[in-house]
This record gives sequence, structure tokens and C-alpha cells, in this order.
Amino acid sequence: MSNQDFALLAHLMRRAGFGATRDELEAYAAQGYTATVDELLNPGDPEVMPDDLIRRYHVDQSELRQLDGAGANWLYRMVTTRCPLEEKIALFWHGLFATGYSKLNQARALLNQIDMFRRHGLGRFDALLVELSKDPAMLLWLDNTDNHKGAINENYGRELLELFSMGIGNYTEEDIKECSRAFTGWTLGNAEYMAMRASKDSIWPYSRIAWHFQYRDWDHDEGQKTFLGETGNFNGEDIIGIIARQQATARFVSMRLFQFFAADDVDSDGEQVIEAMMQSYFDSGYEIRAALRTLFLSEYFMSEKARYARVKGPVELLVGAIRQAGSYRAPTLGVHQLAYQGFFMGQGLLQPPSVEGWHEGMEWIDSGSLVERVNFVAQELSSLDKPGVRAIIDRLAAENGGVLTPEQLVDQCLDLLGPVAVEDDTRTALVDFAAAGGGALNLSGHQPGDATEQRVSNVLRIIASTREYQLA
Amino acid sequence: MSTQGVMQGVTMAYVKTIGIVNNGDNGRGFANPHDVVVSRDGRIFVLNRCDPARATAIRVGICNLDEEYLGEFGNGFGEGDGQFGLPVAMALGSQERLYVTDEYLHRVSIFNTSDGTFMGKWGVMGSGDGQVNGPAGIAIDDDDNVYIADQNNHRIQKFTTDGQYVSQWGEKGAGSGQFNMPWGLCAAGGHVYVADWRNDRVQKFTGDGTYVAAFGSSGDGDGQFSRPSGVAVDADGNIYVADWGNERIQVLGPDGSFQQRLRGQATLSKWAEAFFAVNPDEQGTREVADLTPSLPPHLETPYQISSQVEPYFWGPASVTVDADNRLYVAETNRHRLQIYQRV
Amino acid sequence: MASQRDKKLVVIQLSGGNDCLDTVVPYSNGLYYDFRSTVHIAPDAVLPINDQFGFHPSMGAIKNLWDEGRVAIINGIGYPNPNRSHFRSLDIWHTAEPAKIGTEGWLGRVIRELDPKGENVLTGINFGRGLPRALGLRGVPVASVGNLDTYGLFPDLQDEALKQSALATFTKMYGGAAGRDVVFDYLGQTGADVLKGADILRQAPAQYASTVSYPDNPVAHNLKAIAQVLLADIGTRIYYTTHASFDTHSGELPTHAQLWEHVDSSVGSFMDDLKLHNRLDDTVIYIFSEFGRRVKDNGSGSDHGSGGVAFVIGDSVKGGMYGEYPSLEEKDQLEGDLHFNNDFRCTYATLLEQWMGLESAPIVNGHFEQFDFLKPAAA
Repeated sequence: MSNQDFALLAHLMRRAGFGATRDELEAYAAQGYTATVDELLNPGDPEVMPDDLIRRYHVDQSELRQLDGAGANWLYRMVTTRCPLEEKIALFWHGLFATGYSKLNQARALLNQIDMFRRHGLGRFDALLVELSKDPAMLLWLDNTDNHKGAINENYGRELLELFSMGIGNYTEEDIKECSRAFTGWTLGNAEYMAMRASKDSIWPYSRIAWHFQYRDWDHDEGQKTFLGETGNFNGEDIIGIIARQQATARFVSMRLFQFFAADDVDSDGEQVIEAMMQSYFDSGYEIRAALRTLFLSEYFMSEKARYARVKGPVELLVGAIRQAGSYRAPTLGVHQLAYQGFFMGQGLLQPPSVEGWHEGMEWIDSGSLVERVNFVAQELSSLDKPGVRAIIDRLAAENGGVLTPEQLVDQCLDLLGPVAVEDDTRTALVDFAAAGGGALNLSGHQPGDATEQRVSNVLRIIASTREYQLA
Repeated sequence: MSTQGVMQGVTMAYVKTIGIVNNGDNGRGFANPHDVVVSRDGRIFVLNRCDPARATAIRVGICNLDEEYLGEFGNGFGEGDGQFGLPVAMALGSQERLYVTDEYLHRVSIFNTSDGTFMGKWGVMGSGDGQVNGPAGIAIDDDDNVYIADQNNHRIQKFTTDGQYVSQWGEKGAGSGQFNMPWGLCAAGGHVYVADWRNDRVQKFTGDGTYVAAFGSSGDGDGQFSRPSGVAVDADGNIYVADWGNERIQVLGPDGSFQQRLRGQATLSKWAEAFFAVNPDEQGTREVADLTPSLPPHLETPYQISSQVEPYFWGPASVTVDADNRLYVAETNRHRLQIYQRV
Repeated sequence: MASQRDKKLVVIQLSGGNDCLDTVVPYSNGLYYDFRSTVHIAPDAVLPINDQFGFHPSMGAIKNLWDEGRVAIINGIGYPNPNRSHFRSLDIWHTAEPAKIGTEGWLGRVIRELDPKGENVLTGINFGRGLPRALGLRGVPVASVGNLDTYGLFPDLQDEALKQSALATFTKMYGGAAGRDVVFDYLGQTGADVLKGADILRQAPAQYASTVSYPDNPVAHNLKAIAQVLLADIGTRIYYTTHASFDTHSGELPTHAQLWEHVDSSVGSFMDDLKLHNRLDDTVIYIFSEFGRRVKDNGSGSDHGSGGVAFVIGDSVKGGMYGEYPSLEEKDQLEGDLHFNNDFRCTYATLLEQWMGLESAPIVNGHFEQFDFLKPAAA
């Protein structure tokens, strides 16, 4: 297996997943790139950490009353899943259909929404939008609980068109009104009591009561509607059917997928990929899976050009480092701190800043978030007690009798943490740092935590601190 | 939907609910109650497991059947004397002593029940004789023998009250006398009953570990269990099982025969009524709400149903029976006790 | 670099909803004792302000500052259509935007006004992990200092020589590969900002000398760190810290007493520290909470309410009671809460215009009547 193959697979896994360890890359490499893409796109049993073990150990994750436990619960899945694209696509939709805790005070409803993204996130876009329109968290988040026959609330109708499917400029204000009429009667069970509890953050008397969808036919506007030039007695499903077949929708969805999975910025080559994704979207009957397959198998995505063309989002960075370090594979006290850690870096799971989601790309980075990002990954990947770090040391010790020059030490560590491709200036600084630790390293006879292992740990720390590691 | 099962020999009647969620403050209410024991004088001790993010609420709270809050002890999250990491279960010994297991700190802490004074602790993490790994359920028999469900060593160990190792039995497995992450324990009538959590059964032994019987199998039918977490036995030998994964309580006869299942029917406690008295806006919308709704198919596991249907048991981790045949069910996720009376 | 005379604002957020009835206690009002049959402060326990109101007994230091004329009490503070959810209500206070979900923190806007080109990455500092939304604004760097002594990169490295070597390597790496692309350059610049900020902040505890001792609690640690940074004169204008949790639904009396004991003693030490260093004149403290609590208690604590109380403390403050103390009459209540009578943005506008010397309307989203709780020469 060539290093080129590993580098390509590592690139795929950074985008379609949360990075990969060398063991995982070897397994993917054995089946090849296309087979790996298809495995990612067709998730089987994710073999995530068993729910009964989590609930026994973490009562806060059983109850899910609070945001931190809910965020931690999702992080456990991201860290342990064998089907990383299932979680990555859920993270994508979470950013696009951004629904936040602050208004809902209902962590469980948010996690149920994420679970819906797992079930429908790679399937048909129209089916996904129907599920989204029935999603209890979304119904309250965008006030469809206040959207009544004869007294519409346009919030959901507007965002469905502007932020969730077509984008501004492809419909009229009248379309928004007609769309909103079609979604009257789509609400929560016990909407009034649940909305009251949400607005007061009430956990009383016996903790939260979870939400479910309810269709109130007596509150649904049965009248004729005209939407995007079509007229009929439309209900919400009919509206979504019309939305899904619009060119603007195909373009919007393909563009957002491209920016999340391929590159923050779209150039002319990227435009061609987006065109191809749109074609796949229509050919497949609006399948997200088909559009993504076209992307992952495109020359553009597989070329050097797409490498490191995205700033890692905080959750990608955090989960990626944890998966490489091999930690949090069993219920671990303090896992809720990970949820806070994402928030400190600027991406609190289940609490996007607004319905527009997070501002990505370069905007992830400021001096405050960079300190948090570097410190977390540097500490995680230099901890000699973490299984993933031990695996790296074992591989180093098995090479060349465990004797490594500073150059070899740096190159091998870069390789095993990615491969991570770094600029010459970066590599020079890394080699200087490794050499300052004292000439060639001899790992033969190394013992956990001894001085030789400590030198590896130090090099891993600095690699984790590079700019290159901040990019996906 | 009926909450009462087919009635045979033993019948339980609902009495009342005690509790309200406590968000980490001082005073009345519970924070993820994980176990309950009742002293002879009628004081109800509730173990608030909570979680380290709400560190001060990890403690033992005391109330009585009249819903008077009598106080609390334990010093919150930490490794110091009188503090807890992840407390699991409690047992009352002689001389006003309360024993509390801690699966994170791998130890037993002992308190005086009259004033909450910390009296001592014992326990060493490991897998050797007398060492423990994730101690969960604890029971003390009439002779002050202490039994501990040694969760991650998949065995039961027997100690003196000052922590001297006496004996042990079991190993990991699914055969008779083997365990898979045992949780709740009960010592009664010369026998020890074990909620063999990940084997979905209850096993019965003599006090020296001789296997007597096993009840139940995996499933949600009568007499079947899903991850049973607690067990209690009354003076007549009837067995009460916290069928945690099925979010219900099952009552078995002394021979293990199915008697009744309970799904829970909580009502407002005094503390809950006091809350609604000053929050009439919430009370108003609650009164017109359907608190036992029917649900879409993807939300129909017992766990999901319990998250939606407030009166049902949710996270019933532990059961205990008092001298008057009252059954107390501690619900971790609903911060309350539901109390039933054998009639 | 900003001069020593530049006005500084220290914000203390009391998270969870401080019970204003038990903070500024209407101890001569029978209705208070009727509604608060359990959760009340007895008349002989309060620290009297006048014959109607008194401070909570834990507020001895603030009472002394009151007696010196340095405390403005803003009663009945709130906003229209009160929201009783912690998150949402805090968002409203943080973004000065009650009607829709705002994304720009009001203090973030202040920092942008004070330092439009972002020349000093330490113009605003939060003392605590994470960034309160009040300070959040795209393109405005704000440091979050969990622990001033270890702030910066690699706080877990104990070996000082190794840490210096790691930092030197970081400097080299982030300064290299110039011109590769915009993102890489931006990361490099940001890395340099991080190092610069940490270097400057590290001087603060090193330079600090004081005979004032602070109590041992989280808000005291943060206020001491604020004093250290303030006295180091590194140009920081906005200081933010949070104390929690005032969400006293049960067992309120002992909890609330301890919370105020922490805040009160810390504020007392902080003011003593500034006085010792002769720096009382350029600093004002503003203390707020996201809402007050229900008028009636629930037998053990009190539930989420709306109208609340805020404090402005400093030498430049005209001591006194501002706003109206809301009526406790049932007919005057707002859904069981004290009815607010002044918008929190009036207080913001006063602090911005009369203290910071900034135009308030663009920051607080509109024009609001100002109080006169600051001495005329303050700005």
C-alpha cells in the first residue's frame, strides 16, 4: 500500500468521518477507495457504545435534562461509531437546520432530531424535509406551534425556503405565506403546556416531559393555495414535493454539501462538481447519498487541491483527536467536559448561535478559540496513557529497531497522526524541536512514561499544535 | 392503557408519590435518586446520585412518609471523607449505621443515621480477594454480614461491617451462579438475591453463596426482565424486582412465580403541589394536557414512553420494602419515590 | 496603549436568577412576609437602608459602600414580555435584543467601539472558561481567562524549559510558510496574537503587590485576577465574570446567604484593593442577574420570576435607590412576579454614555432614557 493511498483515504476520512487511526486506514486501504466510499454511504451496524452501559453509569445521560449530558451523549456516538458518515451527516444537517437549546430547554427533543438526521440524512431530501417539518424541536424553535388556520406565523415557512432548501431570491413573499398556510395544524402534542414549560425552562415537578408531533386537522387551513406557480389544496407534504424538484433546491443542497465536505471556498472546478452533484440529485430521486457519492468520487475531491482546504470545525477537531487517542471508548466520568470543550472552541453541540447555524471556515478561528483548540488536542495526543498514543509508540518501537533520528521521529509521527502533510518551514521547526530533545531516539526497552516515550509525547504535542492539524 | 397486571396471590395498591426534582440546591427534593432505604422508625433515606456537574446535590436526603423533609448528609462530589464519586446503593446495619457504595471511588462509606456523621470508609480497587471494582448493590443481613455486588469483577463478595473479607462467589458468565455486571442486592430470610443486570435475571443464593435458583429471562413478557437493577423481598418471601430496562416493577411469589407488574402511576407530591400553588400559569396548561399520550412508532420503547408519560416509572433503579409491606420505588430520572402497599 | 485614566467597567453576572426580594428586602412591608411565609429575611436581620428596605444580612461590605455613598441600587429592572428561561433571558441581557434572537453581544460592540482596529487583543477579558454571549461579536477578539497564572498555550506542561521550547517552536511554525494562502496566514497571525496576549497577561500577577487579602471562593479568585490585570495597565477596559448558581428553587435561605457572602466579601476586597492603589476613580462595577424570582415562595425556595435588581458600585457613583421598588400588591404583579418598571437598556445606556463616553443607541438597539446614578464629571 502506497503512502499516496493512505493520504487519500486519510483525506476521505477527515471529511466523511472524524479522521482515522492507522489501523483503521489499513483496513480501509485493503478494500480500496471506492468500496470505502460505498461503505460510508451505506451505514450498517454502527456498534456504538451500548446505551444500557451509558445510562447505568451516567444518570444525566439517561435523564437528558441538561444540555451538557446531551452533548456528551452525542459525542460518545461520534467517538465510538463504526459508521462515521452517519454522525458526520447528522452534524452537517445540525449546522444547516440549526436548532438550539436556548429557546427549547429540551435536550431530548434535540437529540431525537439528531437521531432523525441519522435515519434520513443520507436518504431522499423530500423525505428529510417532511421529517424536519414534523420534528418537535423544529416546530417549537421556529414557532410553527403558533402557526394557525386564519392566523399564520411565517417563521417556519420562511426559513424552510430561505435557509433550508432554496435560498433567497427563488420565491416571493406570497409563496412564504402560502407555504405557511400549508403547515398550519403541524404542532406538538400538548403544545400549550410544552411551550409554557419551554419558555420557563421548567423541570418541575418531575423533570422534562419529552415531545412528540401532533397533526391538528381542525387547525389546518384546507383552502386552495398557490405555491411557486402551482395551485391546489396543498398540505405540507405537497409543498415539500414542489420544493424538492426545483433547480434552486438541487443547487442549494449540492453547494452546502460541497462546502461542508470538500472545500470552504468554491472555485470554477468546484462549480463543475456541484453541477454533477445536482444531476445525481435529480437522477436518483433527490438522494443525498447519490450527490455525496458523486462528490467523493470526483477528480476534484480526490486531487491534492481539496486537501486541507477546510478549517476543521471544533467538533471535528475534538472528536478527531479523541478517536486518534483512543479515549472515551467506555463510559468515563467527566465526559460532559467534552461538551463544554466544544463550546469553549466555539461550537457547543445542540446550541448553535442562531437558526443560521455556525459561521464556518476561517470564522472558526480567533485568538480565544485557537488557544482552546491547540491546548485540547496537544494534551489529548500527548497523553501517554491513552490507548491510541500507546499504539503509535508501539508502531514506532517496531520500526528500525526502535532507533529514530529526529527527522525520522518527526516524519513517522506525522505519518501516524494522519498522514499530516506539513509545509517545509513547519517540518524544519518540528525537527529542530525533536533534535533539541537529544539526538537519536532509542525506544528499545521503553517503559510506559519513561524519558524516551516522553520525547515521542512531546513531538506529538507539537504536531497537534501545528496549523496543518487545524485543517481538514 | 392499564397500569395494573393480572392479579394473582399478591396485590399492590398505589399509595402516594414523594419528591420533586432538585437542581443542586439545598433542601427538599431529590437529584437522580438511585436507592432508597427505610429505617425502623420510618425515616426514608434517599441516595441522590446526581452527576459531578451538579456536585453539591450528590448526597443522602432524609424525609418521612408524611413528606416532611428532615435533612441531608454527605459532602457532595469529591474524594474526601463523606464525599462521593458515583454512589450506587445503601444498606442499613445495626447501631444506626448506613453503608453507601461508590462505584467510582471503589469504596464503602459509613455514616451515622442519627446525625449524618461520617464514621469511616473501606475498600481497595482491584480483583483480588476483598478488592472491589465498581461496587454496586449492597445488603446487610441480620448478623451484620455485608454483601457487595462487585460489578466489574462479576462476583458477590461478603465482608464484615468493618470491611474484613469473608468470602466470595461467582465469575463472569451466564451460567448458574455466574454474573454479568450485577447491580442490586437483597439479603432476606437467610438468602441473598442478586439483580444479575446484564443477564436479565434474578439469582438466589444461600448466605454462603450456594446457588439456589434463578428467575427470569430476557424480554418484556410477564416474568421476563430487561436489565434488572434492584431486588427486595418481604417477610413472606415475595420478591420485588426493579425491571429497569422495561421501566416497570415486577412482583414474584417466593417460588419466583409471576404475580403482578406495575408501570407506575405517580401523582403530585406535597412538594409538587406547593410548586403549582405559586405557578398557576403552568398548572393551567397542565390541567388541559393529556399526560398519557399515544406516540409515534419510533418513540415506543419503554424508555422513550417513560420519557413522555410522566406518571410512569422512569429509571426505576431500586426497590425496598418496609416492615409494614410498603414498597418504595426510587426513580432516577423522575426524582421521586412511588409508594405502594401490599393489600 | 490606553492610559490609566481610561474608564473601566467590571461586570459581575449572577447566573440563575437572583431573588431580589431577599436581596433588597422590603422589611416593613407585611405583604412580603405574607407571600414569603418561609423564604424571607426577618426584620431584625436585615442591614437597614432606610425604614422600608434593608440589604440581605450577607451584604455587609456592600452596606458599608452604601453608607459611603458608592452604591446605586436599580430596583424594578427588566424588559417587556419577560422570558423566564435562563438561557433565553440571559441572551436578551447579553444582546440587548428582547424581540428576536440577537447574535451580537452588547459588550462585544463596546469593545469594537473602543478598539475598532483590534489593536489590543486584551481590550475585553472574560474571567472564566468560555465566552459569555455579551462579549461575543464576530471579528472582535476577547480573551477568556480560566486561570490567570497558567493562561496561554500548554498550561498542562509543568516543565518550564520544555514549555519554553514548545512555545518557541510554536512561534517558528506559525511564523513560517508566508503567503501559502489566506487561511494559513490568518492562522499564523492569530497564533502570534495568542502568544502576545499571553505574554502580556503573564506580567499582571508578576507585577501585582497588595496587602489586601481576598476570601477563598471562585468569584473572589476572579475579582483578584481582575484587580491584577487592571492594576497592570495593559489597556483592558471591559472585565467580565460570573458567579452561580442563584437558581434557588429549594433550600434557598442558606444557599442564597452563601452566594451573597461570596459576592459581597469579594467586592469588598476588590474595592479595598483599588483604594489601596488609589485607583477607585476609573472603575465602576455593574452587577446583574437574568431575572428575579416569584413573589410567593414555594415552601422551600422560589421559582423563576421577572423583575429584578441591579447594582452599580464605585467612587464615581451617586449612591441611592433608582428605579421604583415594584409594588407587592397582587394587582400590581406581572403573572405572579414583581413588575419591572425600567428597561435594563436604560442602565446600559447610562453606563455607555456617561461612563464609557460612547454613543449608546447602536449598541443597545435604540434610544433609552438614562439614569443619573453617575456623578456629573464622571465621563
